[in-house]
Amino acid sequence: MHKQGVEKFPYYVGIDNLSQLATKDDRVVVLNILGKESSTVTPTSHEYSGGNVVFGTGPGKSGKSLPTKLGNIPVYNSIKEGMLAGHKFNVVVVYLPPSGVKDGVAEAVRHNPDLKKVIVLTEKISVKDARIMRAICQTNGVDLFGGNCLGLADAWNHVRLGGALGGSHPEESLIKGSVAIFSNSGNFTTTIAVYLATAGWGTTTSVSSGKDVYIQYGPKEFIHAFDNDDRSKVGVIYSEPGGYYEHGLESKKPLVACVVGRWKARLSKACGHAGSLAGSGDDAFAKEKWFMDYFGVDGIYTPGNPVCSKKGALVTNIAHIPEALTQVMKANGMKPDFEPQGSLALKAWFGSNQGLKLPKNLDLPQVEAISPYNEQIQALDKQVGAQFRRETMKDASGASMMDPSTQVSKIHNTSILDASKHTFEANLVYSLLKEYPSAYGETIANMALNGYVNQHGQPALAAAEAARENGSSPNTVAASAVGIVGRKTAQKAMDAAQALLELFQFSKLANPEADFDYAAQLKEGAKCKDALVSASEDGCAAKWAEGLKKAGNSVFVNFCLDLAKQEKGHIGCDTLLAATWLTLGWTSLRTKKISKSTLTRLPWYSRVFSTLVGITAPASRQTEDSFCGVKIADLVGKSFTETAFMALLGRAPSKDELFEFQVLLGLIITNGPGTISAQGAKGAVSADGPEQPDRVQVNKGFIGFLSHTGFAHGGNGYEAAAFLIEKFKDQPLKSADDKNHGIDLEKIAMDTAKEYNAYKNEQKAIGNLEYAKIPCVNHPVFKGKDVNMDPREEFVRKLFEEKGLDNVFLDFYHHLVNALFKAKVSKNVYCVNIDAVIAVILLKVVWREYKAGDMKEEDIEQASFSTFLFGRMIGCAAEIDDHTNRGRNMDTRTPASQVSYVG
Amino acid sequence: MQLTGMLWGRKLLDLVEFPHSEVGGPESSVDEIKDMIKKHGEVFIKPVFKGGVGKKGKSGLIGRAKNIGDALKEKERLYFAEHKDGTATYKADGVTFEGAVPAKYEIYFSISESTVFRAPTMTITHHGGVDIEELEPSKIAQVPFDPLTGLKAFHVSNALEGLGAPAEVISPLVQNLPKLWDLYNNYGMLMLELNPIRMNPAGGRLTPVACDFKCAFDQDDPAWKRLGLPSHVFASDYSEFEQEINQLRTYQGQSDVFIMNDKGTITAPTFGGGANAMVTELLGEDAIISSDFGGNPPYEKMNDIARISFKYWLPQSNVLFIIGGKANNTDIYETFRAMADGLRAFFNERGPVPLFVVVGRGGPNLIRGMSYMKDTLDTLRVPYRFFGHDSAMSEVINYALAVNDWMKAGGREEIKAAMNIS
Repeated sequence: MHKQGVEKFPYYVGIDNLSQLATKDDRVVVLNILGKESSTVTPTSHEYSGGNVVFGTGPGKSGKSLPTKLGNIPVYNSIKEGMLAGHKFNVVVVYLPPSGVKDGVAEAVRHNPDLKKVIVLTEKISVKDARIMRAICQTNGVDLFGGNCLGLADAWNHVRLGGALGGSHPEESLIKGSVAIFSNSGNFTTTIAVYLATAGWGTTTSVSSGKDVYIQYGPKEFIHAFDNDDRSKVGVIYSEPGGYYEHGLESKKPLVACVVGRWKARLSKACGHAGSLAGSGDDAFAKEKWFMDYFGVDGIYTPGNPVCSKKGALVTNIAHIPEALTQVMKANGMKPDFEPQGSLALKAWFGSNQGLKLPKNLDLPQVEAISPYNEQIQALDKQVGAQFRRETMKDASGASMMDPSTQVSKIHNTSILDASKHTFEANLVYSLLKEYPSAYGETIANMALNGYVNQHGQPALAAAEAARENGSSPNTVAASAVGIVGRKTAQKAMDAAQALLELFQFSKLANPEADFDYAAQLKEGAKCKDALVSASEDGCAAKWAEGLKKAGNSVFVNFCLDLAKQEKGHIGCDTLLAATWLTLGWTSLRTKKISKSTLTRLPWYSRVFSTLVGITAPASRQTEDSFCGVKIADLVGKSFTETAFMALLGRAPSKDELFEFQVLLGLIITNGPGTISAQGAKGAVSADGPEQPDRVQVNKGFIGFLSHTGFAHGGNGYEAAAFLIEKFKDQPLKSADDKNHGIDLEKIAMDTAKEYNAYKNEQKAIGNLEYAKIPCVNHPVFKGKDVNMDPREEFVRKLFEEKGLDNVFLDFYHHLVNALFKAKVSKNVYCVNIDAVIAVILLKVVWREYKAGDMKEEDIEQASFSTFLFGRMIGCAAEIDDHTNRGRNMDTRTPASQVSYVG
Repeated sequence: MQLTGMLWGRKLLDLVEFPHSEVGGPESSVDEIKDMIKKHGEVFIKPVFKGGVGKKGKSGLIGRAKNIGDALKEKERLYFAEHKDGTATYKADGVTFEGAVPAKYEIYFSISESTVFRAPTMTITHHGGVDIEELEPSKIAQVPFDPLTGLKAFHVSNALEGLGAPAEVISPLVQNLPKLWDLYNNYGMLMLELNPIRMNPAGGRLTPVACDFKCAFDQDDPAWKRLGLPSHVFASDYSEFEQEINQLRTYQGQSDVFIMNDKGTITAPTFGGGANAMVTELLGEDAIISSDFGGNPPYEKMNDIARISFKYWLPQSNVLFIIGGKANNTDIYETFRAMADGLRAFFNERGPVPLFVVVGRGGPNLIRGMSYMKDTLDTLRVPYRFFGHDSAMSEVINYALAVNDWMKAGGREEIKAAMNIS
């Protein structure tokens, strides 16, 4: 049962001419107008069409409205209510969720006898609902389009009904011309229009039919209206397998058919378009044949095989449509609508080889994008540095993570094992810049860090000394000192960094260690004079500048020196500190690894690093011009790793000791964001309010870290050292790297194991299950095998073996785990865990001093704790900066509902 | 979502009281089979396949036995039988024992949605028991009917009369066949086929007895869930990956995936049904999955899709190929941000993998989206090329294929070295 429409159809079709599909007279109601999709798309359609939406519906949303540039579109609870308000319309666009579509269509048909077109955008409508909607519309003489379509658009009438054909800027794609498009794919409706423009063809009416099982407005209806439309000279039909919609299609005008989907024969269920699942006679091959038979061609049109007739051509690639259409129209004596716009050749808008050498055919150069995208890309270049999305960073980190299966932690995606191969200074730079410095970078970082390490006469050292004298632990001592390194300490250097950033941020400077013409910046430099140029001469700065120049090339250092000359002033230490850190951080900024605010805060971090190491050496080892016996002028040229060693032990390390110390610091960097030290740092940042990064106090972040270490976290490394001292203090061991020590390690290990076994049994017998454990053996993850290994310990052991570095204490530990097994203390051979490595390296370093009586056990404990602080300072610097960039204000707090009272 | 065979078919037919042959499942005991042979003179032994499998008879996959010995032999032969249908291979898991039904006539009957009539359509012939495609069109009646009123007795009688069917089959079919519309319409079916319905003369009057069953359900119609079929019935339709993605299936944003070649080397998140058709066709065997993630999925959904897809396929992929036309309403920034974050998360959790990223896309917020992706790839040190919608999609696909070829020919190792992957 259906109303009578166009006579030739056995079902109702109301549209007789394509020009009637989307007209200026159409008045539209949008169902679910305030839904996410509709509220984005409808205003564009409304504005493009000159204001054709009369109202929208949304149950319970009466009184609201959808704002558009042409005024607000009113919203009613129902169609009935809208009509009672006096609105008239003939088109309904449906954005309802699938289960509500059928009812929405029924409502529209029932309430509005003037209804002529219903366009259903919704995807995933059941077939049952689709057939019922069809029946309702057929009975009432309404043309139905969709579901899962993008509606109709008319480039001549400048009207778009339904969905988003042409996207957010329809006029870009819907250019007036002579081609009518019918497409199973909404996206391809627009894409085909864009492609056609490259051959000079515009469009009349575009129909996105959808490709559900039911195509309510099919190709036959389209062709009928197309034949009657004088504006349309040629048609494009894009179709996919499934259904007999295109079977027997005939037109009075030329057509280009594009059939895609041969591979769909392999599908056993729908993927993408629900109706694209073919049966036996309606697959892509069958459809290709229908069209070829109709066109009278014996093949598919390709640029290499341009077969077409006056009736048309078949393509299987949408990129071939423009050319095929031009050829078909040529055969019909017709020329394109306008000059071709652009081309479809490959044009890479963005590209990077990441340093790889690609074969020629793949190494496509970046080309300028078409307008308006080129302007947007240019605007991007003005976006300097990374911009991080702010989110709750409680228990989360963008800086560190621990792999639960390997227990190896990573900092900026570098495992601490790999990090431990780098120097202390390189890791400090890496923690903030996410890139290891070059050799020159390490040199200038050392100058900056060492240059501020001497704390003689400084209040920070006084605070540290006072704290030490009153019995505070190393972390408390350090926190007391770092508290004094407030913003003002680094403000001038940060101002200088900011000035340099402003001068250079939009320049082409990519590598600050290469030559760069900064004439333009020098011209602008006068306005930054206050921040970059000193009125008075500073001998220290002059020497530093000389050192920097001697070490290599820095655009920023050179620029600052030239600016000082130009402005007839002098360069100061703060400016050099800024220039150093800008040199180090510039590439990271340019490659958007770090934010602008991180770059300008670097001098502050630098001062904190120097202070924390500096105050570790007692005041007695610091004078006006020396640190631990080394002249400052000599110190700046040394590795900061060496400086840290001297601060701890008061003497210079040997080459091997320096390496072992570096590895030790690297292993301690991080254990992920869950560790107490990281949590302390993050909490301190969170409390300052990172959403205003300038308010975050860097030194307070470090205090947070320091206050969250202690005798149990950081100080416990001493347990293993104490255990080893106990075992070796009476042995004739002079040096821990002495291969010929003559000590029977196996025997000591077995005695220890037996003793421990007896102790353990005794404790168990008296019911004490909390008996003492041997430190640094066994691990909750690396267990259960016959012989167990902690891969981190294994890594370090092999590293030391390669370097020929022996360690008696580590050997002893390996004897010990075997002895524990033999003595039946353990069921298998325990692993020697990573904490043992830290203990044995440290003990090896201090063993000589200990044996000579220059160091007492408590000194070793203090040194052990301070070593932990140095290493963890690297990781926590990364956490502080990361949380400042990504975190939200007070995001580490726990809601009251999730905490408990234990009374 | 298809279902074939009488093991489940009989339960569905019982819902509308349509007569069917006596069916015993794989658990049938020797005594039960013996009883069945005694009662019907003969039993058919058919392998149980999950999903939709046709042409079993032609492949020799239907056994028949008149004694228990033969029946058990056939059971052994068919229990784990393999069946090739087109490119797919199916493995049986069990057999049914179906009592033979003596018959004078065999009827073919189906209801499906016809794209010719654009209405539900009954197909019927009294020359059933064979493949319907093998019959001359004049022997088949196709009758579309109004979905609002459904299949009526007169549709059946008019069709059979038109075909010149023997008078004795018409009345019993008119009485019984319209019941099947209820089964079709109420449980979300797309297709229901009974072939053969054997017209059993027992009792003096012909009774239609369904002897085979096939149906397909509409994934977008939740009505099939009312049947309470165990999920394993459809399990073979979906791989683990597909099941995980399917859990994200909502009407906002597509999340359709299909594994093309689990040994492939290009992971291609594709946007739009058209792009899906074209991309998968041109990528051929190199494509791991065929997908359609268009329809403006929100960030969270796209991020979930990316995470799941990357988890399964990134380790083996040479190319991550993000491809679509000029989007109409899919927000490129949101979708690209979701995928970039998914990629970053993968690298963070599983470590870097050697990869080349090729993008072809247009649409709202394009440059913002590409920029986010670019920054992410720069951070991860992954090489890439992005093309806008002014590059022909097919050329972009060819470029992705060329990158894949280079990766196979040593490029993967070069990227591995450049990315410092051991």
